[in-house]
Amino acid sequence: MSNTTQDFAKQRTENVAKENSWMNKMTKIGNRILNDRPILLIVLILLLSLFMTVRYPDAFPHVDNFAAVLLDTAQGGILVVGMLVLLICGVFDLSAGSILAFAGIVAGTVVKDLGLPPIVALLAGLGTGLLVGILNGVIITKFRINALITTLAMQGILKGVTQIISPAGVANLPENFKPFGQTMFLGLQSPFWVMILVVIAGWYLLRNTRYFRQFYYVGSNAKAATLSGINVKRVTVVGFAIMGLLSGLAGTLLASRLSNAVVLAGTGVELKAITAALLGGASLSGGLGTVPGAFLGVLFMSLIQNVLIICKVPVFWQSIVVGIVLLAAIGIDQMGNKKK
Amino acid sequence: MPDLIEEKVPVPPSCSSIQPRLSLKGITKRFPGVVALDNASLEVMPGEIHAMVGENGAGKSTMMHIIAGVHQPDNGTMEIDSQIYTPEDEKAAQKAGVAIVYQEGSLFPPLSVAENIFAGRQPDKGFGSVDFRKMENLSNDLLKELEAQIDPTTPVNLLSSSQRQLVEIAKALSQQVRILILDEPTSSLTISEARHLFRVLHGLSERGVAIIYVTHRLAEVFEVADRVTVLKDGKVTGVRKIGETSPDELIQLEVGRELSFDPSANPPTGDSAVALEVEDLVVEPVVSHASLKVRAGEIVCLAGLVGAGRTELCEAIFGIHPHKSGHVRVNGVEINPQHPLDAMKCSIGMVPEDRRDDGLFLAMSISANIAAANLKTITHGGVINRQEMADLANQYSDSLRIATPSIEREVMFLSGGNQQKVLLARWLAHKTKILIVDEPTRGVDVGAKADIYRILRELADQGVALLVVSSDLPEVLALAHRIVVMSEGKTVGELNAREANEIAILQMATPKQVANERGKE
Repeated sequence: MSNTTQDFAKQRTENVAKENSWMNKMTKIGNRILNDRPILLIVLILLLSLFMTVRYPDAFPHVDNFAAVLLDTAQGGILVVGMLVLLICGVFDLSAGSILAFAGIVAGTVVKDLGLPPIVALLAGLGTGLLVGILNGVIITKFRINALITTLAMQGILKGVTQIISPAGVANLPENFKPFGQTMFLGLQSPFWVMILVVIAGWYLLRNTRYFRQFYYVGSNAKAATLSGINVKRVTVVGFAIMGLLSGLAGTLLASRLSNAVVLAGTGVELKAITAALLGGASLSGGLGTVPGAFLGVLFMSLIQNVLIICKVPVFWQSIVVGIVLLAAIGIDQMGNKKK
Repeated sequence: MPDLIEEKVPVPPSCSSIQPRLSLKGITKRFPGVVALDNASLEVMPGEIHAMVGENGAGKSTMMHIIAGVHQPDNGTMEIDSQIYTPEDEKAAQKAGVAIVYQEGSLFPPLSVAENIFAGRQPDKGFGSVDFRKMENLSNDLLKELEAQIDPTTPVNLLSSSQRQLVEIAKALSQQVRILILDEPTSSLTISEARHLFRVLHGLSERGVAIIYVTHRLAEVFEVADRVTVLKDGKVTGVRKIGETSPDELIQLEVGRELSFDPSANPPTGDSAVALEVEDLVVEPVVSHASLKVRAGEIVCLAGLVGAGRTELCEAIFGIHPHKSGHVRVNGVEINPQHPLDAMKCSIGMVPEDRRDDGLFLAMSISANIAAANLKTITHGGVINRQEMADLANQYSDSLRIATPSIEREVMFLSGGNQQKVLLARWLAHKTKILIVDEPTRGVDVGAKADIYRILRELADQGVALLVVSSDLPEVLALAHRIVVMSEGKTVGELNAREANEIAILQMATPKQVANERGKE
């Protein structure tokens, strides 16, 4: 009798122990998820998708809808790589959206009004972005005007220039310009695939190459970076050049996909890119961030957008949600800083 | 590893038959208003640990900065291994094999230990890709040599300050360092961490690295160094072999003068009421035990070495950092200041150490600066009365003799002495009864110094209780009625103006242990 009681007690202790170790494991996994931003984002994306699948089985879980979400990441995914480079470097670019619209109009004008071959238009769009990016970088490093002011001013200047060149945009772009943005592959239009290439390239470069690792050094301690033989100014200019080039690419692709270069394209995309990068683990204080994290940030935001549309939330509310997510992302960033 | 580190040359320190690793001859460096180094010389042998001591402002940092290429000397020559050495910047100094380990600040906090050690020099495995595995292995080898158990993939911001220091040393080692400079390396270390550092330094010196060890802890000099150079007022007052000198001799060399001082200029106050009393105050993480009293009409100077916790104590009294335990009493009534406003309500004022950053509104006028703590008295119905503001400013700029064409002049155009007077005027206008002044004459020229001393004395005569922090011992002796000495976060003693001298103060202020026990587990 006493024997069975003992056995029982023993078993109970074992059960408790098991439960405890199970609890420990869960806490550990929980901490891991909370501390590793990409994993946290994947979990959130899966949970949100699961919820939507159960709640809106007619609208959400469909190939077309997924394709729409993925295509929506095309523009953000291209821009976020550039923005991430800058955030790692300790700066950011508020003119990215204006560069995007400007480059699209330039490409459209070249191919339609000037009648030049589409490849020239593509190069013109890319070149425009690159030049504006370099200009941003040079103003910031040579004249020591901070990045916020410089790129905010550039945003305004480019909006004006774009309107002057083409007040109503360039509509009905010629057929031969469409392949850049409208070629279908595995059910998705080419901008998505271009974005995938940019993301993979950015991921490899920022992770592995000496040149791109310099951005991390500059962003975490510019003075020490100088003393370690890193040319901080040149690295910063290169960062803005990359951002400009990628904005130009996104603008040209968008014009091609819509067969239409729109003056108001890209409004507010820079804030979305910054939000996504911060969600993905980048920090306004520099030195942090990864491409997978930033891309998942973009995917998460596109998904939220999609969810809001499916839930028939009015457009204005969507912009409020984007603002709140930005504040939350910065808040998380600040909390991380405080801990350190 | 051998390719990264200097070949092993066991050299007996200060052996005269070999060439010095580093020699400075007749170095002079002037900054506006001061001669920081005056014909100073230094010789460091390969494999020698050479300590450098001196009071605050003796020129130690200037000398380190000149060796590290931060500043260039006005006169004099430097040689490394008998080659003329004229670094135009820090990078050139690094190329010549000079590495300086600062307290902190030269690391990249979010990046891994390995990336910190090999910043800008990461091993390449082709196509511009970083060979992370090689970099981590090399880092591991370096850290093992330093007996540091640090995973090279850890981000630096997760390390303790002693671990960060070892990372900095590892970084220096990876750059074929010939001359390693450490500036107050143990200030944030526990005893066992400091011992570890000393072992590491001895290991490096056996390998032929010349080490310059700047410190104010004399006990450490005797524990770690082979020779010591003493600086005072920019001049070298002595070079001694350890074993042929004593702490008392070094203190004598640091102070260097029999001080002529007339205590009659400082009549002791009577037994007036205690205006400010601090008892057993603890302010984390620096101040561990502080007690003092300041009577109305009395000037109490808080002496001690940099880092002793004097500023932190003052900031706690003024409500900038809340204290953890202990008591602050004003006129016998306990107060618990959580914000400078609380302290100001008890008519406590404070002139901070860094007047440009913490005290003044540089781009604003003298009158606006004086009014800053007194807006309530000149505001009526929410509107500032310009005339009253000007009257206030005129009154004090006259009585304090602020040299300016107009009270509307921006304070950034004033000299250091006049800026300090503006800050004093702010608190005079506030009718402050207890005034804390942190380093009242730092960066102030001689004429204005005398003026400021006169103002502080007059304030005391009017019954204000003054608590003055000063690292300038002659100033302490000239100004104080009483001197309270702090060391390592504690008030360790009190001296009457009559019985005080520089040596007595320094002996009290110099930590008795190798390193402080703060943070010891």
